[in-house]
Amino acid sequence: MNRHRILGLSALVVIAIGLYFGSQAPLDGLQGEYTRIMYVHVPSAWLAYLSFLVTLVASILWLTKRRLVFDRVAESSVSIGVFFTALALMTGMIWGYPVWGTFWDWGDARMMTTALMFFVYVGYLALRRSIPDPAMRATRSAVLGIVAFFLVPLSYMSVLIVRTLHQGITVARPDSPIDGEILLALLSNVGAFTVVYLTFMSLKTAIARGEEELEEQSAAVDATPAGAAITAPNLEKVRDV
Amino acid sequence: MTGPSFWGQAREIGLKDLRVEGRSGEVLNITIPFGAVALLLIPLAIGIDRPLIAAVGPGMFWVVTLLFGMLVTFRHSATETVANREMMVLLGMDPAAQFVGRVAASFLLLLAFEGVLAPLTIVLYNPDPVSGWPVLIVVLLLMAIGLALIGTLASGITSGLRSRNTLAPLLVAPLSLPLLVGASQTHEALAQESSILTPILLLVAVVLGLAVVGVLTARFLEEASR
Repeated sequence: MNRHRILGLSALVVIAIGLYFGSQAPLDGLQGEYTRIMYVHVPSAWLAYLSFLVTLVASILWLTKRRLVFDRVAESSVSIGVFFTALALMTGMIWGYPVWGTFWDWGDARMMTTALMFFVYVGYLALRRSIPDPAMRATRSAVLGIVAFFLVPLSYMSVLIVRTLHQGITVARPDSPIDGEILLALLSNVGAFTVVYLTFMSLKTAIARGEEELEEQSAAVDATPAGAAITAPNLEKVRDV
Repeated sequence: MTGPSFWGQAREIGLKDLRVEGRSGEVLNITIPFGAVALLLIPLAIGIDRPLIAAVGPGMFWVVTLLFGMLVTFRHSATETVANREMMVLLGMDPAAQFVGRVAASFLLLLAFEGVLAPLTIVLYNPDPVSGWPVLIVVLLLMAIGLALIGTLASGITSGLRSRNTLAPLLVAPLSLPLLVGASQTHEALAQESSILTPILLLVAVVLGLAVVGVLTARFLEEASR
């Protein structure tokens, strides 16, 4: 069994475990069943941050080591991070409607900063598509991958910097008031989503490697004038004459 | 014989950018009037409600500075060609010095932009006065340097690309969020007479971080622009 299948099957198993814990965890007295959205929303947000952290590290490594594998990791991680950021935003809005009475609250700094973080990384992917040369693409997007990371701590800390509707930092607090069973369900889902991230990364980097090989092959074909129909002049014969 | 020092090179680049601006007058004749028109249009769009206009005035000023400030920071990418960049390499110009020079020129032009639009905002919107308003001058300076840093970085990242004109604003607008949050939160804190330490620290941290990243990555961006 190859690595992708092992990771894929592991992801299915841990997601099932996460769902089980999520379905068994006690409910919040006020929010009722809506509490369970947290088991998708929080892991998605965590994965978004992790993805962009991986991009930051891979971008620095590309600039210092110049190995294409780091560029592949950076790009793959952004693609997956954008997906999880969108998921965090959507689940946040779905959760917000019954709890806050609105899908989008302008007083929520976390939502705003996360949405803008999403657009910066969408811009990262757009930048990559605008540059055909692989080395130039890797270097420019690496610099953007470093600069864009400024928004990640800002998004996380926004609940402390700005007075906001969003719940403050809860799990990472030393005096965390969270219930033990809810914490277990939350952490099991964070773990499960992390395995999903690793599975996606494994597949995405493999696809990126395949695309690079295709690009190299196309470049080699393009290097031959008019394909194989015309061959380069045989200068040796010309000299003999 | 040795060439100019790092700061000498940065000064020359900055002066060159300012000379280009002096000849074209793009910021003075186009961007500043354009920003003023935006400040005039906003109250018409939200309705003639004087208390509301006074309340949103400072926020609108920051948004206009951010959006129109981009035009100020991108203007040199339009004048720089591949030949121009290659000449800089042949002259042995330090990429970090070029970055610093460009940021300095953009900073001064952005200050001019803010210097015209801030009084205009006060006249048009008549915002409620806040105690400790001189702090806002520091915020204006930090906003200008922060925008100059982000704009110069985005110009470097997108230079020479066909999609530069659309891509660069997409990158700069969301990246300027920490500046916008810092500036608006400082104003709000002053209005409520609470501590301004957190938003000012945020602005300083972002400016320092961007300056370090910009200087350290200038060489890589220069390599990738050839």
